[in-house]
Amino acid sequence: MNHSSTQPLEYSTKQNSLNILGFWIFLGAEIMLFGTLFASYFTLENRIGNGPSSAEIFQIAPVIVETLLLLTSSFTIGLAIHAMRLRHKKAMLSFFAVTLILGLVFIGVEVYEFVHYVHIGAGIQVSAFTAILFTLLGTHGAHVTLGLFWGIMIMLQVKKRGINEQTANKSFIFSLYWHFLDVVWIFIFSFVYLKGMM
Amino acid sequence: MKQLFPLKQVMGFVFSLVLTAVALLVYFLNLSFTAGMTILLITAFVQAGLQLVIFMHAGESKDKGPIYTNIFYGFIIALVSIFGTLLTMLWDM
Repeated sequence: MNHSSTQPLEYSTKQNSLNILGFWIFLGAEIMLFGTLFASYFTLENRIGNGPSSAEIFQIAPVIVETLLLLTSSFTIGLAIHAMRLRHKKAMLSFFAVTLILGLVFIGVEVYEFVHYVHIGAGIQVSAFTAILFTLLGTHGAHVTLGLFWGIMIMLQVKKRGINEQTANKSFIFSLYWHFLDVVWIFIFSFVYLKGMM
Repeated sequence: MKQLFPLKQVMGFVFSLVLTAVALLVYFLNLSFTAGMTILLITAFVQAGLQLVIFMHAGESKDKGPIYTNIFYGFIIALVSIFGTLLTMLWDM
């Protein structure tokens, strides 16, 4: 393998390149996981039994807020990686912190939304539709929650050890994960919420 | 300060906001199901491609061949699962 000095730090060793490639393969599996959840959602979305339909429970305002939060956090984690490549540790950690705060607010809005659904009689056990809705949204939300803890660990390591081959590699892989969660959200936003409210 | 906000990523962010606004038209306008779904399919997949290429730097390393192959493979399996399910469960074919 060619490790020229023009390669960013996070690719700089053979192990690092393989870590990144390996993570992309994991993301390929994640695409398939969410593919099966979407397939189930489309099958069950009209099986509402005696419960409410998607058009009756979805609200546009929290959905727009959640979308803007995740889109912006995807942008700021990109800026964090850019700052890392400039070896600008302080800016990198600031962008990382902004990203995680946006993620935390996203989870807050989503929890509000879930509580609201349960409150208006659309809990997970009400119908096939609410069951798959909570499963799909919950799987995405669980990924974001995991990402918050992972991101904090990465920040602590960068703070303690500085930007080196290992921490740069870990940070870049975290950024891939975070962007991927934004991609999944785009599909939830389009084919769960907007399609349901159209 | 300026060097911390590269033009490519700022433009990518602005474009992703524009795509979101276009997708929201299906909520605010009274479109047919076909027209609405066409808009959503286009905006969602362009948005996903934008994230992969601009923000995730999918094409920047020497592993770009395996990376793109793997991502297309993931998407193909996901789409076959989804449309196969639609065919058997919803479209009665």
